[in-house]
Amino acid sequence: MKYLKYVLKRLLYVVFVFLVVSVLMYAIYKAVPGDPVALMLDSSKKQMDPARYEQLYEQTRERLGLDKPIPVQYGVWLGNMLTGDFGFSTKYKQPVNQIVAAPLENTLMLNLFSLVLAFAITIPLGIVTAVRKNSAFDQTIQVGTIVGYSLPSFVIALVCIYLFAVKMPVFPISGSITAGSTATGMEAFGDRMYHMALPLIVMTLTSLGSITRYTRAAMIDVLSQDYIRTARAKGLREKVVIYSHAFRNALIPLITILTTWLVSAFSGSIVIETIFGWNGIGKLLFDALQQRDFMVVLAMQMFYVLLTLAGNLIMDIGYALVDPRIKLEG
Amino acid sequence: MTAKTDKKARKRKSSLFLTLKGLFFRTEGDIQSLLEEEQMQSPFRTILKNFRENRVAMTGVLIFLLIFLCCVILPFFYPLDLTYQDATQQNIAPGFGLLKVSKGLQGKAAQVSAGGVFAAGLDQDGVIYQWGKMDDRLKKFPAFEGRIVQISAGQNHVLALNDEGTVYTWGYNRLGLDNIPIDLRFEKVAQVAAGPQISYALTEGGKLFVWGNENIIDVNPRDYQGQIAKIAPNGTTVMALLKDGTVVQLSKKVTPFAQIPEGLSNVVDIASTDRSVAALTADGQLVVWGSPDYGTLEVPPEIQGHVTQVAAGVGHFTVLLDDGSVRSWGRDNFGQASAPKNVKGVSVSAGYYQSYVIDEKGNVTGWGLDGYLMGTDQYGRDVFTRLLTGGRMTMTVGAISVIISTIIGVIIGGISGYYGGALDNILMRLTEVVMSIPFLPFAMILSSLVGNSVSEIARVAMIMVILGLLSWPSLARLVRAQILSEREKEFVTAAKAMGIREMSIVFRHILPNVITVIIVNTTLAFATCMLIESSLSFLGFGVAEPRPTWGNMLTGSQSSQVIGTYWWRWVFPSVALGLSTISINSIGDGLRDAIDPRSNER
Repeated sequence: MKYLKYVLKRLLYVVFVFLVVSVLMYAIYKAVPGDPVALMLDSSKKQMDPARYEQLYEQTRERLGLDKPIPVQYGVWLGNMLTGDFGFSTKYKQPVNQIVAAPLENTLMLNLFSLVLAFAITIPLGIVTAVRKNSAFDQTIQVGTIVGYSLPSFVIALVCIYLFAVKMPVFPISGSITAGSTATGMEAFGDRMYHMALPLIVMTLTSLGSITRYTRAAMIDVLSQDYIRTARAKGLREKVVIYSHAFRNALIPLITILTTWLVSAFSGSIVIETIFGWNGIGKLLFDALQQRDFMVVLAMQMFYVLLTLAGNLIMDIGYALVDPRIKLEG
Repeated sequence: MTAKTDKKARKRKSSLFLTLKGLFFRTEGDIQSLLEEEQMQSPFRTILKNFRENRVAMTGVLIFLLIFLCCVILPFFYPLDLTYQDATQQNIAPGFGLLKVSKGLQGKAAQVSAGGVFAAGLDQDGVIYQWGKMDDRLKKFPAFEGRIVQISAGQNHVLALNDEGTVYTWGYNRLGLDNIPIDLRFEKVAQVAAGPQISYALTEGGKLFVWGNENIIDVNPRDYQGQIAKIAPNGTTVMALLKDGTVVQLSKKVTPFAQIPEGLSNVVDIASTDRSVAALTADGQLVVWGSPDYGTLEVPPEIQGHVTQVAAGVGHFTVLLDDGSVRSWGRDNFGQASAPKNVKGVSVSAGYYQSYVIDEKGNVTGWGLDGYLMGTDQYGRDVFTRLLTGGRMTMTVGAISVIISTIIGVIIGGISGYYGGALDNILMRLTEVVMSIPFLPFAMILSSLVGNSVSEIARVAMIMVILGLLSWPSLARLVRAQILSEREKEFVTAAKAMGIREMSIVFRHILPNVITVIIVNTTLAFATCMLIESSLSFLGFGVAEPRPTWGNMLTGSQSSQVIGTYWWRWVFPSVALGLSTISINSIGDGLRDAIDPRSNER
């Protein structure tokens, strides 16, 4: 019961933050100079006679609901968005949710694969460095991780392009699929993975540093606890102590990292997607901003906000689930 | 009443002052109780000692200081001209030695001609030497017949003329540069001149032939064919000296060069920069006209009447005087207007950013562009000066946004932690709202929506403010947590029990403990802000071209051509950025290790 109340409270809070941010975003969007209707009808302006253009202009304005007062417009926009209608892209001349589908899938794929890869590498690495702390191996890894989380993703990307696409041309530099490819099934998937290789490598590399450090710190914290000494004193094998007693407890702070990392990875993939021309939502946002296609921008922004909030919510709930000592009043 | 508050304020100030003093100086001489001294000083000394022993962190301090000083001091010595672009200097590899004249030429030089980033020399036996940065096409000479008597180097191609009046060309061969007009075979050529992507040949009969890219340079010699004695091409048009000793422009276009001074006659030599023209009359007077850029019109008055030869690069003039000395003036960005003294020359030549003088013994001395330390970018701009100025910009943006975020973070965290209650609740909710705004997309959107309608400086300021306004929440939370935990510690209880005033407790007992956390966090946030600024600028939503930052210097360098061939364009900015953030982060890490004694035991 107490738990349900906590979850409800967090949910209510998420809704509140979402509303605040959406008002903020809509206000910024409205403050932008420029007329979306004129932009949309720009191509037909020259060909039509002024009176008919005026008529069409008014019609479009009405159709887009731009003739109503701004708070009403906001209400309509929010309502539409919550029912899955994200508006109309001025550039693609299509509803936004149709444009977003394929890039969203690409981005999710990139992020999930790199999540699996990054954790598969960093968790064993973090455990080993924690267990053998201050050894030469540990110190090398420590220096490596500082380098890893200090380098911006685009520098890592440039180095990777140099190594894997210029010096040893094994992977393609950009694109999501081979142009004109008609492959289906496994072949299409293979082609996609081939194009994803470089972005995936870069994304994984950028996240190695920080997660390794977090895992190591969490493990060291746990290993210095009394119950670990007790477990060792009982004569348990070192493997059991580390993997069963220590690591399970170190997982608690790792959950925090997992969610915050995932959220920041989605933001961070903007740079990587732009560099590699990977057709994901980061690139979509980048293109939309450059072409001033604001309905897409707004939808993307709300997606990122939602993602962050969902991440925080999952983190809070997961935290409470894993560690019963956490006070639910929080 | 007022006196009392005054006194209070002074006391508070003095306690803060003592804290700060205790941070940086030994305060043994001060009248303090033993207890306070123990609490105040020893942790800081331990921190300093711990930090000094950390080799990684100390290396970080050294590297960062080095980069920081370079970026702060060196731009004063290597000022950046934001508007500077030069198509002739694009994508030049790093390295010096453009003035290193071939050894074989020394002692018997007959003619030298300077090109874009190379130069060609001709010795008295008709042998051609080339030095500087050359591609394979430039190194490959055609099969010459007869003796070469004249050469002319262009941006990246060379023309040569033999004693039978035949013209040869090599080097860059696109745009019709290798198509020497067939009619020229039946003429005896007197002068060859190579311009940017264009070639000229003037016959002994005074007829001018032009081939190459005629779209960028407007030449129309029709009205003067048969009368031309010498030509002086530049980046816009061609000036011609006619056989009657007057000067004309071989173009109908209105240019600064067309305003030829009235009554100019008896001209024996002409030369032309990209901005102005110089005509040498028979009595040694030099007449210069054109636009006043680069100061090419400011002829040193003492040389008038003594000039025997004039030559011009793209922005400077070099003259030979009757006593054999040389003078240069005009644009001096590569030292091309700083002529050597103590030279007894017999002929001078100039081209692009270089000048050469040949002395009586046939030795060649050159001055001007010797090379680029870190090469040039796609617009011909020097990567090194841009790196310095860009570093200053990146660090300034990083530092100011960190200061903004630290101030907001400390104030909000401090108020939250100190007052607690409803205010704490509201502020923490605000913190969470800001925290749930996704950083990079939001900054991109703000800067692209607002940034397009403001001036360049305002845009940079806006980026600092955006970064500052979005990055304070983590520090605020940290400060709040720290103050909360410090408030409950025994030494505060003890201080309270001893009757020390609340303000004094906050400033002298709690603040020093929190300051360490703030310093560590600020250090790490500085690196983060630099990274985010570079990411934004890299994507084109931060500081905009032509103002350089380490981020936007890398924009567009993800193509395989840049990465593979023009490596200097991405390697140097990447290394500078990477080294700075790595060293800052290792300083922050070292500080944290030094401050937290538990981490020593780990």
